[in-house]
Amino acid sequence: MFKVSPLRKRQVIGGIIGVILGVSLFYIFTLDATEDYVSIGPMNVGHEPLNCFACHADAKGNLIQQLQSNISHTFGAREEGVEFGTQDVTVDNCLQCHDRPNDRHPTYRFSEPRFKDAIKHIDATTCITCHTEHKEERVSVESINYCMNCHQDLTVENDPLDISHEALIAKEQWFTCIQCHDFHGNHKYDVPEKMSDTIPMHIIQAYFDGGEDPYGTDKKYIALSQEEWLKTIGVE
Amino acid sequence: MKSIMKQLSALALIFILNSCGGVPEEKTADASEEKAFAVEEVLEMVAKENDVTRTLYTKAIVGKGKKQGMKFDEDWRKDDVEAGPLPALFLRGVATSIRKGPVPLGLYLGSDYPINAANKFQGQQAELFTEIKKNQEPKFFYDEEQKLHTAMFADLASAGACVTCHNDHPQTSKSDWKLGDVMGATTWQYPKDSLTYKETVAVLNSYAKGTVDIYMEYLDEIKAFEKSKKPEIGDKWPAEGNYLPTPEVFLDSVRKLSSYETMKHLVASAK
Repeated sequence: MFKVSPLRKRQVIGGIIGVILGVSLFYIFTLDATEDYVSIGPMNVGHEPLNCFACHADAKGNLIQQLQSNISHTFGAREEGVEFGTQDVTVDNCLQCHDRPNDRHPTYRFSEPRFKDAIKHIDATTCITCHTEHKEERVSVESINYCMNCHQDLTVENDPLDISHEALIAKEQWFTCIQCHDFHGNHKYDVPEKMSDTIPMHIIQAYFDGGEDPYGTDKKYIALSQEEWLKTIGVE
Repeated sequence: MKSIMKQLSALALIFILNSCGGVPEEKTADASEEKAFAVEEVLEMVAKENDVTRTLYTKAIVGKGKKQGMKFDEDWRKDDVEAGPLPALFLRGVATSIRKGPVPLGLYLGSDYPINAANKFQGQQAELFTEIKKNQEPKFFYDEEQKLHTAMFADLASAGACVTCHNDHPQTSKSDWKLGDVMGATTWQYPKDSLTYKETVAVLNSYAKGTVDIYMEYLDEIKAFEKSKKPEIGDKWPAEGNYLPTPEVFLDSVRKLSSYETMKHLVASAK
């Protein structure tokens, strides 16, 4: 049907191989079994069993529709562009499994204007500031001195600790907070009254890196598993 | 021939791209609807509802409940504490519920003498709060960084329980509060400068839903009480004995107390 000029033979063969290869790769890399290869890095601790779709929901429309909409948007024929491929991951995605009524530091609180300066140092309005995904760890925040951004004026009446909270703050020992207080307040455990009984920093660091939970396993709320989450959105 | 092929291919490509149509544009349901209220008016309406709800909760549930031996505590969610939420935490519960819903309304409570130092106003909010304390007039501003319309309303010591609890609290930073004092301010935020009738009702409903949600959480906590005497939940109030109203009865009272003012606004706009 098509006559191929001998001079263009290699070009045509190359083109055909390219199309076959492209389609095959697209097919292979969109299979559930190859998710690990597509992922930009191993999942964080606790998230290992999740599939990509748990966070990366398909964007609206099919790829051709998305392409067309974005081209239209580029040429000004459409007011808004659309998401391409998958939807952006937001705090709402995290909260669908991790939302808890007892969260001591829920992200939404930090949207208030008075935290404006604090969030310049640590953006607590979003989970990924401290929990960057695909890092194979639990907490990714660089420095554990973040309490200093809001709790500089803390005083504790009848302070039960052998070295007072005020003294620790005066000495800017901000990394000591986490040795007693877990940031989200979901663990049920007795807080020590002597600094020497607090959890040593290297154990905290190991926990952040994905190790054992030093605050204990007794938690008031457990995050939803993928199966439980699917039920909440009506997928059995 | 070649150029015809090229043109045909280009046409085919355009045809394929167009054949499905684009992703349907999300026309906001209200695009054609008229904007009925300025954001300031809506925030004033919902702040008024909040005043009524919190006063009712503080006086009729916390104040009268305490006389019946009911306990209210800042650690009310802890398993070993058998108590209900203090009014400030009741408000935070409402705020949390609103954030979980689809309405982009933010609600916060702060003060210059808070129990928890982290709730102390800073920067612009602190400056505006000094003015609010003088005349109790609300303050409105547009937060450039967050791109949110923001309003602050005085939060008054409207019940004896506000004054006594705050004065007696072991961590209080001020112990001479009096009835009627401006103890703090609620801060409200919304992204748009004007709202349709439907959006306005959605804001009011999200607040009402928030009160029901936190109140139901309190009733759920009561179910788990082991040591304390559980109040009977029905259509009676703590003023009559060891009773608590159901969420429906509670919300109904809020509506009776606040609906006149809110309805006046809504009806005036519908005319």
